[in-house]
Amino acid sequence: MFGSLQFAVDGFIRGVSVRVWLALFILAVGVLVAYGVMGITSRLLDRVGVVETIEGTTFERTTNEFGTSTTRILTQLSGVFTILVSVFVAITVADLRFADLFWGGIAVFLPQLFIAVVILVAGVVIADKVELLVSERLRGIKLPEIGLIPLLAKYSVLFVAILIALSQIGVAVLALIVLLAAYALAVIVFTALATHDLLASGAAGVYLLLNQPYSIGDEVKVGGQQGIVQEVDLLVTRIETNGEEHIIPNRTVLKDGIVRIQGH
Amino acid sequence: MTSLSDILTDLVSDVDAVFLFSPNGSFYERFTGVADVAVIGAENTVDADTFVELPIPFSDIQDRIKFGIEGAMDDGLVGEGDVVACIGSLFSDDADFAGRVRVDETMRSGIYDLFTNSRADPAVISDVFEVALELGRKGQKGKPVGALFVVGDAGKVMNKSRPLSYNPFEKSHVHVGDPIVNVMLKEFSRLDGAFVISDSGKIVSAYRYLEPSAEGVDIPKGLGARHMAGGAITRDTNATSIVLSESDGLVRAFKGGKLILELDPEEY
Repeated sequence: MFGSLQFAVDGFIRGVSVRVWLALFILAVGVLVAYGVMGITSRLLDRVGVVETIEGTTFERTTNEFGTSTTRILTQLSGVFTILVSVFVAITVADLRFADLFWGGIAVFLPQLFIAVVILVAGVVIADKVELLVSERLRGIKLPEIGLIPLLAKYSVLFVAILIALSQIGVAVLALIVLLAAYALAVIVFTALATHDLLASGAAGVYLLLNQPYSIGDEVKVGGQQGIVQEVDLLVTRIETNGEEHIIPNRTVLKDGIVRIQGH
Repeated sequence: MTSLSDILTDLVSDVDAVFLFSPNGSFYERFTGVADVAVIGAENTVDADTFVELPIPFSDIQDRIKFGIEGAMDDGLVGEGDVVACIGSLFSDDADFAGRVRVDETMRSGIYDLFTNSRADPAVISDVFEVALELGRKGQKGKPVGALFVVGDAGKVMNKSRPLSYNPFEKSHVHVGDPIVNVMLKEFSRLDGAFVISDSGKIVSAYRYLEPSAEGVDIPKGLGARHMAGGAITRDTNATSIVLSESDGLVRAFKGGKLILELDPEEY
């Protein structure tokens, strides 16, 4: 009885080809390598300073609520990816023909998916960080509507990240790119329209500051206003006459010309 | 039978306002719920609602309190006859003294006015003060130097003065507060004449000979020509003069033809 069992096990072992044993071995090595990769990833993220940089972002706080952290998610992701690669290699070695087509598709798709997920996580974290930085910059300005600008910056970054991630896994993103271009164009056009006067004055101001055709203390006549120059800055020239201070935009100064009154 | 804490209670009882001089965050937190708390310091580090800025770090505690009260009077926080409790730090960085001050109109010396109601930016005036104090402390190669800065209303000042030599600041864009300025002004202070500084802090000219009419200028007797010129120009224009005396080494500020403030550089 024992003999027959012995024979069955022997037959089974002999029946399983060397390739399968090799595949199992590769799988085991893959798990070990995955473990090592996870360790290296977490140490690398720590060393590069990712941990301090992302501290305080909403994404990090949300992950903390779920008892994990952004670095741990990235670490686990890298581990899972390594194991999947080893599984794929093992299956190829084992030469399981029936799965060829399926695994062939997966082999191309998996790395792309992995990169897409990493880009998405990085995008969310960077978007949060941008929002933090912008709002910190604007903290001195006490305006209720100012809260919109950091939010806008955040979603712009997020949008771009999603776009890159989607294109990575081969989803058609042409429509979204057109949307992005339209949005960027609108921002540029409206900014140019809104700051047209400021830009013109600024350009004129650069010339006035560099060449100083008139300086503080000169008596000048600009656009019908006569007086003593008190201050020239990038955008405006201040001219004073008997208690009246005229603040003249620099583009007017350049457009209408300056009359310097000599001899006093 | 009075204990120490009873005496301290007497000091702070029935006050109309509490002034904290440069408190740290946690100390300020302890005052939440106390009415009429004002913070006085160089910077509003604790995000206090009522804040009076100290433009120069007065080393004399009496000056510091007087300046704070003057500022609070100008802002309408306290009025004549109010009693104020002052808490601040004298020896260490933590709060270590408490005082009781009755607000009095005679406290209004114009020092606060000098900074906040001048034509020039308050920051520019305190920058010039810093340069003058530094110059007074170190001098030129160990020897005392004199200097005259006319700040604000630069157009009018330029028209009431003439150049003594070529203007080294012509077509330049040097502002007081720039890091290089201290060294530059120290070198140029060797030559006579006044520095003219605009409202926004641009150094317009050096070597200016001021030509104001000196009639009716009320400055103490015994001060020299530099002080007379510096005082008189502030009567003719809306400028503020900051003068470093070569003979006694003091820094004086004039506004409206009057001596407003006298500081000893050695104390800062």
